[in-house]
Amino acid sequence: MKKKALLVSPAMFILIAFAVVPLFIMLYFSFISDGGVPGFTLENYARFFSKPLYLALTWKTIKMSALVTLISILVGYPMAYIIAKIIKSGREILLLLIIIPFWSSQLVRAYSWMNLLRDGGILQDFLAKLHLFKGGELGILFTQTAVIIGLVHIFCPYMIITSYMTLEKIDDSVLEASKSLGANPITTFLRVILPMSKAGIVTGAILIFVPCLGSFVEPRILGGVNGSVIGTVIQDQFFEIYGWNFGAAIAFILLAMVLVSMGVMSAVNRRGEENG
Amino acid sequence: MAKKIIGWFYSIIILIFFYAPVAVLMAMSFNKSRYGALPFEFSTEWYRVLFSNQKLIQAALDSLAIAAVTAVLCVVLGTAMMLGQREFNSRVKAFFNSLVVFPLVIPWIILGLSLLLLLRALGLDRNYAMLLIGHVVVSFPYAVMVIGARLEDMNSEIQEASYNLGANEWTTFKRITLPMLSPAMLAGGFLAFMISFDNFVLSYFLIPTGKTTLPIEIYSSIKFGFTPEINAISSIILAATLLMITVIAVLMRSSLMRMFK
Repeated sequence: MKKKALLVSPAMFILIAFAVVPLFIMLYFSFISDGGVPGFTLENYARFFSKPLYLALTWKTIKMSALVTLISILVGYPMAYIIAKIIKSGREILLLLIIIPFWSSQLVRAYSWMNLLRDGGILQDFLAKLHLFKGGELGILFTQTAVIIGLVHIFCPYMIITSYMTLEKIDDSVLEASKSLGANPITTFLRVILPMSKAGIVTGAILIFVPCLGSFVEPRILGGVNGSVIGTVIQDQFFEIYGWNFGAAIAFILLAMVLVSMGVMSAVNRRGEENG
Repeated sequence: MAKKIIGWFYSIIILIFFYAPVAVLMAMSFNKSRYGALPFEFSTEWYRVLFSNQKLIQAALDSLAIAAVTAVLCVVLGTAMMLGQREFNSRVKAFFNSLVVFPLVIPWIILGLSLLLLLRALGLDRNYAMLLIGHVVVSFPYAVMVIGARLEDMNSEIQEASYNLGANEWTTFKRITLPMLSPAMLAGGFLAFMISFDNFVLSYFLIPTGKTTLPIEIYSSIKFGFTPEINAISSIILAATLLMITVIAVLMRSSLMRMFK
């Protein structure tokens, strides 16, 4: 009895003291004024919700994260299906090739797009050689498009892996059964494959949507002045403006957005399980 | 057959999307032109510049040290936790599990700044102790996943047999459990090492004033404009990652594949 508690407690202490408790400290500071007004105040939250700029950036962040998630589903799910159901030999190699970029530095990967997307960079040269691009500048780097490309590149492997894990479990005989009962491929996909692999898509969507909400490095690097999102606003409060308490309030709003989106998505998942 | 061809075709396009930027980066690190202009002219100039950049070298060494300490802490804490938690009932286990994945679902910017605010509440300056704790918190889930997967596969009968043959707990741990667990501990350690080595966000918030780590150096170089030695160091990082992933894949081949099932 004592031994097992002794083994578990150091890890539990670190996680509770340094991952959970600090969130409450952040909440506390979010109710303190940066301007020196004593006592508890809602000033920070009032400031956030009364400025159209912050609300616009919140909306932009949500839209960006949703778009990255959607593109990742559209690109990643077919890839997962191909690995799970079509290419059976060479599957391990493909999985490995998809996991490798997933483990390499996010910062370096965001940066690697700068080389490609720059005006006068490799992509522009390449497109010009193919006569797909005429004169002028490419104009992708330092736009929202560049940020989205970079984020999809970083997060899409999550979708491939989680979708693969559910698709792989679907027995081929189930698909045969659907076919022999007269369902065409589209019906089989919509009525059998999709419902059975929904959990993987939802898990992947959470793993992509949530970190996108909190991203600030990729928007900064690839979006430049057009890359402002909630994450960069928080970063500025802590490193440029020194409005730490206001920063804490924005971070808490971000945390609330994260929790709500996770709640919604796991509810979607559970409803799927009941129906299926 | 047609399906297979389409399948491979699609896979290749996806892999080009994943690898092209990285491949271009690596190629450009050997290109003579400062701005990566074509035509390509081979040169190791930027590696020479890199190795004479003392600040960058020091940052890399600091990052390696931080990652090494983080990895060891994660493996020790994670192994202890996974061994201890086996004997708790399933509700307590579920609670432990949700605590472990917690840092995975909270954006790192929130974890980083909340630890900074914790320092402020305690009246302390940014320091390496808190930076290490931050790194352990975010790297821990990865180490635990791998170690936990291996423990689950392990047959508890072998340990019982060891007890029945008169071995005490310590002997059983040293002679049976540890050797069986060690490949997973090594692989989990490598994963934690990589998460920590690459981690920009936590370091950015918690690094002591005047100090730096490799990701922080890379980030500020990128922000200040294009420096070709960043291509060189990034290529070294990518090559090292590739090597490590291969080692992990070899160590954990069976368990990793089972994790995807």
